[in-house]
Amino acid sequence: MAAIASIFRAVTYRGREGQIAWMLHRVTGVGVFLFLALHITNIFLMSFPSDVFNSVLVLYHNVLFKLLSIFGLYLGVLYHALNGIRVMIVDFWPGASKYQAPLWRIQLVIFVLAFVPSAAIMLTRMY
Amino acid sequence: MQARSFARPRPAGRQEHAALEASGTGRSGNLERTAWLFTRISAVVLLVMAVFHLLYMHIALGMDAISFQLIAWRWQSPAWRLFDLTLLVFGWLHGANGMRIVVDDYVHSPVGRIVARTLLIAVTATLIVLGAFVILSFKAA
Repeated sequence: MAAIASIFRAVTYRGREGQIAWMLHRVTGVGVFLFLALHITNIFLMSFPSDVFNSVLVLYHNVLFKLLSIFGLYLGVLYHALNGIRVMIVDFWPGASKYQAPLWRIQLVIFVLAFVPSAAIMLTRMY
Repeated sequence: MQARSFARPRPAGRQEHAALEASGTGRSGNLERTAWLFTRISAVVLLVMAVFHLLYMHIALGMDAISFQLIAWRWQSPAWRLFDLTLLVFGWLHGANGMRIVVDDYVHSPVGRIVARTLLIAVTATLIVLGAFVILSFKAA
C-alpha cells in the first residue's frame, strides 16, 4: 500500500527535473539489481557440466531478451551511470546545485549521444 | 503512521554542523556515512568496469557468442577471474545498499522491515558466495 501511495504521489507531485531524475535513477537501479540476481544465478551454472549452462542460453539467444538487454539493461545502466556522475558532482561541489536542472539537461544530451550509436552497433551485432 | 512533515528544514549553520557532526558518532550515524561513501567509491569503480563489461560482451563478443566454452576460455586468465570477482562484489553490494534504502522508503511496518532486511542480507550472502565460488573454483575440463 505504501508503494502504491508513493507512486501516486510521485506522479502527481510536480518536482520537475530533480524529481524525474531521481525517479529514473531509482527505477533503473532496481531494474539492474533484479537483472544482476538473475545474471549471477545463471553464471553459477558454470559449476555444472557444460550442457546445463548452454541449455539456459536459449533465454539469452531469444530476440525479446536481446532487445530487453539493450533497451532495458544497457539503457538503464547508462542512465544510472550518467545520473550518478551528476549526483556526485553536486555532492562534492555544492555550488553546482544551483545548476542542477541545466546539468540534468546536459546529462540527457550526453546520454542520447552515447546511447544511440552504441545501441545501433549492438543491434547490428544481434544478427 | 507518523504524520509527515513537508516543511523545508532550516539550513544548519557552520557551528550547528560541527555540533551535529560531534553528536552523530553513534553507530547508525557512522554506518550511514560509510554506506554513503561506499556508494560513491563503488560507483566510480562500476562506472569503468560495468560499462566496459557491457560493451565488451555486447559489442566485442556479441550475445550469440556467449556459451560455456567462451566463459571457460575467459576464465583461463586469472586477470579475468579477478575482474569478474571485483565486478560481482562491488556491483552486488552497491545494488544491495541501494535496495536497503528503497526498502526503508516503502516498507514502514517494523515486522516488514525485519523480513525485508533479513531477505536482502540472505540473498546478498548467497549470491556473493555462489558467484565467488564458481569464479574461483572453476576448472576447465
